[in-house]
Amino acid sequence: MQIRFVLAALRKHRLATFLIALQISLACAVLCNACFLIVQQVHAMRIDSGVDEARLGTVKLSGFDPKSANDFNARVVDALRHVDGVQSVSVISGVPFGEPGVRAGIGLDPDYKQFGGVIDFYLGDDHAAHDFGLHLISGRMPSPDDYMPVTKFVPSNAPVLITRTLAEHLWPGQNPLGKQFWGLDTQFRVIGVLDHLSVSQPGGSEAKDPDWSVFVPAIAGPNLAGKYLIRAQPNDMPRVMREAREAALKAAPDAVLDTDQSHSLSRLRHSYFESARVMVKLLAGVVVALLGTTALGIVGLASFWVTQRRKQIGTRRALGATRGDILRYFQIENFIIVSFGILLGMLLAYGLSLELMRSYEVPRLPFGYMPIGAAALWILGQLAVLVPALRASAITPVEAIRTL
Amino acid sequence: MLEMRDMSKIFRTEQVETHALRSFDLHVREGEFVTVTGPSGSGKTTFLNIAGLLDTFSTGAYVLDGQDVSDLDDYARSKLRNRKIGFIFQGFNLLPDLNLFDNLDVPLCYRRLKRAERHQRINDALARVGLASRMKHYPSQLSGGQQQRAAIARALAGHPRLLLADEPTGNLDSQMALEVMDLLQDINRAGSTIVMVTHDPNLASRAQRNVHIVDGRVAEDPADGTIRPRPVEGTA
Ligand SMILES: Nc1ncnc2c1ncn2[C@@H]1O[C@H](COP(=O)(O)OP(=O)(O)OP(=O)(O)O)[C@@H](O)[C@H]1O
Ligand SMILES: [Mg+2]
Repeated sequence: MQIRFVLAALRKHRLATFLIALQISLACAVLCNACFLIVQQVHAMRIDSGVDEARLGTVKLSGFDPKSANDFNARVVDALRHVDGVQSVSVISGVPFGEPGVRAGIGLDPDYKQFGGVIDFYLGDDHAAHDFGLHLISGRMPSPDDYMPVTKFVPSNAPVLITRTLAEHLWPGQNPLGKQFWGLDTQFRVIGVLDHLSVSQPGGSEAKDPDWSVFVPAIAGPNLAGKYLIRAQPNDMPRVMREAREAALKAAPDAVLDTDQSHSLSRLRHSYFESARVMVKLLAGVVVALLGTTALGIVGLASFWVTQRRKQIGTRRALGATRGDILRYFQIENFIIVSFGILLGMLLAYGLSLELMRSYEVPRLPFGYMPIGAAALWILGQLAVLVPALRASAITPVEAIRTL
Repeated sequence: MLEMRDMSKIFRTEQVETHALRSFDLHVREGEFVTVTGPSGSGKTTFLNIAGLLDTFSTGAYVLDGQDVSDLDDYARSKLRNRKIGFIFQGFNLLPDLNLFDNLDVPLCYRRLKRAERHQRINDALARVGLASRMKHYPSQLSGGQQQRAAIARALAGHPRLLLADEPTGNLDSQMALEVMDLLQDINRAGSTIVMVTHDPNLASRAQRNVHIVDGRVAEDPADGTIRPRPVEGTA
């Protein structure tokens, strides 16, 4: 019933109404996009790497002579195996959340007419597939004959394990087993499909999908040396890694230990997402600050209007308005202003999203975030206006009428 | 219609207690036009506010239209005010953000009346005070006299049992004051009970009955209902 009067009165206060609605619309736009970015970051941080992170660590050495790689590998692997608590050691080319390993564009034909995207290749010796804890969903694990020496970057004509996501991307709806693809001057044949195996830098700019990787069985040698995967009990990891680093250096005193990369996978993952965590905190801070200032703006304007309309409120009370009528008046008014702000905010949110897409390669804001943002602001608005509105409803008719 | 017995109203502030009304007795019958006069601070406004259920009283009894209203809560008093009482203020108290039509509509909406009935009443009331052509005007676009007539129309539209006016002509020049007084007398002749506080002895003398208040007490009241003209002291 009162909506008509509220609207009529707001028409007489267009500027203040517009300004507060504008603030609300900004809050709405930023809120929707920030929440979406936060959810995306959190989702990215939760990625399933497809390997037994809690049980894995890696040691990286450099500065050795490639000609003596076989001897070097043998010495280091032997030393690592003798560290107390180490269950298994393998030679690999890289790990998820570690530095980029072998990465290349692939084609579905030898001439790359059909480009398949940029993917990560994880090379590993005959212990690696087991040590990683790869989860096979179809096909088979590499057999002893599948392990071949690395020619330049990868073994020639290698059989590979491919992730389900990548297989679905390359051959949608088809059985990937036995299929071939080309890359790194050679060809590959799919022998098994993995549930997951994330790229080394998930969310990084090159691979379109964080799960576009393959595992390539290989034999350690001059082109596969210096990086080792250690498997141990999760609760033993910190000590094992400390001792493993020392043991590796002792076994290869002239090599250089990469202290950034030689850690447990849990720790590598933690540092890999450090900036994402900072960004989430920052965005959350922005959201809270924005909602706070918006709430304060609403409280401020509503309080000002209550004071300004003291006499009016008293008059309304004299004319028969109950306290509830006065309370509702301010609640309806707030609802209308916030709704107007939300309407503007939706357009703004969409515009902001398009701009973010263009500049930062983030996906378009899903429409589902709009009603969530709207609901949040409606609730915020009603909470913010409650105190001034209650104050208004407590104004007694006499005192208000006396103030001429 | 309105019966107050042995009523008192005490305002307490930190330093002082003001007895705005004491042993106040008044009986207004249906259809009467009663003016209330008295020196400044004598309690006229206090009496009117209590009569209109805007304020509570300290002791005594008040029966309005046959109903004892001494112990009603805020909600019940709001509803009763809305249905039975029409107010006319010295400062007009129109809502500045709404046009005349909406100003008249507000109290009717609080009453949850149907749209058609509201429109009928608003049109009738505005026509009665001669402002039918101004219903889209805002209060600030009207003269003082027109604003007060609009306020009277707002009270009339509610078909109140009791019309209360606190110095309704106090902010008007004498010509407009007379117009408003004529209008109120018309309304009274049509059957409404009116209680009007005024400082103007000329206006007071035009009523059937003038109650004079001094120091929160009824000092003179031709209570038997006969019209007893009386020289009024005080400001003119
Ligand atoms: N809210 C209040 N708090 C304290 N004292 C009050 C209050 N309202 C009225 N009074 C006191 O009560 C007494 C009666 O006041 P009231 O307003 O009824 O006088 P009045 O007859 O209407 O005067 P006037 O002719 O000047 O309008 C005065 O002494 C006044 O100071
Ligand atoms: Mg007064």
